[in-house]
Amino acid sequence: MGDLAKLLKDFGPAFLNAALITWKLTIISYSLGVLLGIVLTFLRVLPIKPLRRLVGVYVEVFRNIPTVALLIIIVFALPDLNVLIDYEPSVIVALVLVCSAFTADNLRSGINTVEAGQIEASYSLGMGLFRTMFDIVLPQALRAVVQPMTSLLIGLMLSTAIASQVPVPHRELTGLVDMINNETASGILTFGITAVFYVASGLVISWAGARLERKVRILR
Amino acid sequence: MSARSAEEALFENPNSRTKLLLRIGTIVAALALLGLIAVIVLRFYQAGQLQSRYWKFFGWFTTWKFLFSGLIGTMASAGMAGLIALTVGLVFMAGRLSTIGPIRWVSVALIEFLRGVPSLLLIYFCFLILPPLGFKMNSYWMVTLPIGLNTAAVVAEVYRSGVLAVPRGQSEAAASLALSRWQVFFHVVFPQAIRYVVPSLLAQLVIVVKDTTFGYVVTYGELMQNAKILVANYNSLVPVYLVVAVIYCVINYALSRASQGLNNRLRAPTTRPKADSPRMLVSSR
Repeated sequence: MGDLAKLLKDFGPAFLNAALITWKLTIISYSLGVLLGIVLTFLRVLPIKPLRRLVGVYVEVFRNIPTVALLIIIVFALPDLNVLIDYEPSVIVALVLVCSAFTADNLRSGINTVEAGQIEASYSLGMGLFRTMFDIVLPQALRAVVQPMTSLLIGLMLSTAIASQVPVPHRELTGLVDMINNETASGILTFGITAVFYVASGLVISWAGARLERKVRILR
Repeated sequence: MSARSAEEALFENPNSRTKLLLRIGTIVAALALLGLIAVIVLRFYQAGQLQSRYWKFFGWFTTWKFLFSGLIGTMASAGMAGLIALTVGLVFMAGRLSTIGPIRWVSVALIEFLRGVPSLLLIYFCFLILPPLGFKMNSYWMVTLPIGLNTAAVVAEVYRSGVLAVPRGQSEAAASLALSRWQVFFHVVFPQAIRYVVPSLLAQLVIVVKDTTFGYVVTYGELMQNAKILVANYNSLVPVYLVVAVIYCVINYALSRASQGLNNRLRAPTTRPKADSPRMLVSSR
């Protein structure tokens, strides 16, 4: 027990800070990623072929590329193209790109859970495209995507671990394990504390997601 | 009656104003797309990245052989991790569904722990923390084992969703034929459950392939690690990483498509009503 007390005394604030960085990265990338994903979904639903193709390619690329490979490209390859992005923004950019692709995909399946008959009914009542979209389709689509968007948030939080692969100014949880392990001998404890932070955050998110899902779901 | 998707129905009969707007939109979008491509090519040109010294080694057989050996490394690790996940996941699921309290609690704790932490953290555990304690493994296992166990925890939940989707009547009927609990589970329930979850399992493989990218952390010779070596040798970052990114995208795209295809086939109306099939677990990493 003495080891734990000493570790917490020496690194307690560092753990809290690292957790805050992990949460900060998660929240920023998720909000920006979801916003971008919504815009992409609109562009993809419009019957404009070049736009559909482009968004389709975008989604497939960023859904399928390993996030860490994307980060390495942004940090190490883009400077060769005279595009210089600082380390922490690079991590956020990588996460936002990936998050937006998954969001666009989830939202599109959400839109397609709405039956075509409802849209026909809405049009025959004289409602236009925008009213149909905002009053009929989106409210139902958003309800349908609560669960996948919750797992996306958890996945994104776990993905912030990639920040340990570049020299960011403030270490997040996984990067902290690397550092403390170099300085002290209490590797297992460090690992355990870090894991607790991740698991607890994930459980809180999935609990909140499940509550929201129960509240808004549509029983068909 | 409507077999069409909501997406199609939205723009089925645009009025003349919408039609005009869409036509203008198409032209603007096409021009913007061309402009985007032009800007990217110009960027490459201005930065000197189109010079042949950055690309010419892609004309050499040895380059592709080296990248291919990296790909083999990726597949060897991903394949084994997948195998570990399928088998250990089965054990976790059996524990999770056990009627004996302590076994169930331990399984739940293991599952939540292993899938609740980043796979990179588990790799660090095998790479940085275990060796000083006397547990040494080679770089292959330092990547494969953590990814395998991480995925096993996810797969356990996938299996469970399949098991829970099998109608109760099936196990009740089997039990009334005097089959033992094990027989009911392994001869009646699980074979049906597996059918439902094959697409989700395949989708998990995409995440496994992505996670093996961390092989370079422990210098295991997979695709990303070999790309880094190529970069170091030819000082050609953009082309090498671009090519590798395309390879990853193609592999994972093929896996996702296969998973979606299977999902659509298994959901065909002839097999069973839609409402009963489990919701496909989407991969989101």
